[in-house]
Amino acid sequence: MVAIFADVPDQGENAAPTAADAQVAVARLLEVSADARGCVILDPRGEPLAASGPIEYWGEAGRALLAAADAAAGEPVSHAHVGTEDGEAFAVRLDDLALVAATERFTLAGLFLFDARAVLRELARGPAAAAVAAPQREAA
Amino acid sequence: MPPKPHRVLLDRVSGYADEASAFLRRRRLTRRPFARVHAPGGRAIACAPETEEGRELFLAASRVIDASRLGD
Repeated sequence: MVAIFADVPDQGENAAPTAADAQVAVARLLEVSADARGCVILDPRGEPLAASGPIEYWGEAGRALLAAADAAAGEPVSHAHVGTEDGEAFAVRLDDLALVAATERFTLAGLFLFDARAVLRELARGPAAAAVAAPQREAA
Repeated sequence: MPPKPHRVLLDRVSGYADEASAFLRRRRLTRRPFARVHAPGGRAIACAPETEEGRELFLAASRVIDASRLGD
């Protein structure tokens, strides 16, 4: 069977994600990733769009981790992973968005990065992408 | 007489589970704090805590972990 979609918007044509979209993305990540303790999503200017806790504190912490990772690499990083005795911190960039999260110790990094990128990708493509992805997940 | 097929399957699953639990146990015992950054081209850099870059990364990570404790 061949299906043709008459109207498929390009990825770049969507408007920037809103704070409400980002809040949904934060809730989705905390739901799908059992080890996630909290996270923040930053817009292209580094301003926090949504967070699981105090947004200003999360915003500063997220920017600091991204800045430290960029300085260590000498260029903007795609992701960073720091493991400590108290937990683990991740920073992930996708398109113009960034997600910084804290997880439990011994989190499987590959799984968490997959979840974080999926959430960011859905957010970057707009609410329509999330609406399409949800039935696919239910069917799987 | 060969073992029943389902027993072979159960033994194999049990073997994999034992291997996995031993791997996780070793991982918990041997794992030390670490910081790794990954550039878009696939380049990965490990930053030791003793270095300036590593120190900054661990400080920033501590703030992120602290933020997760603050709750809503």
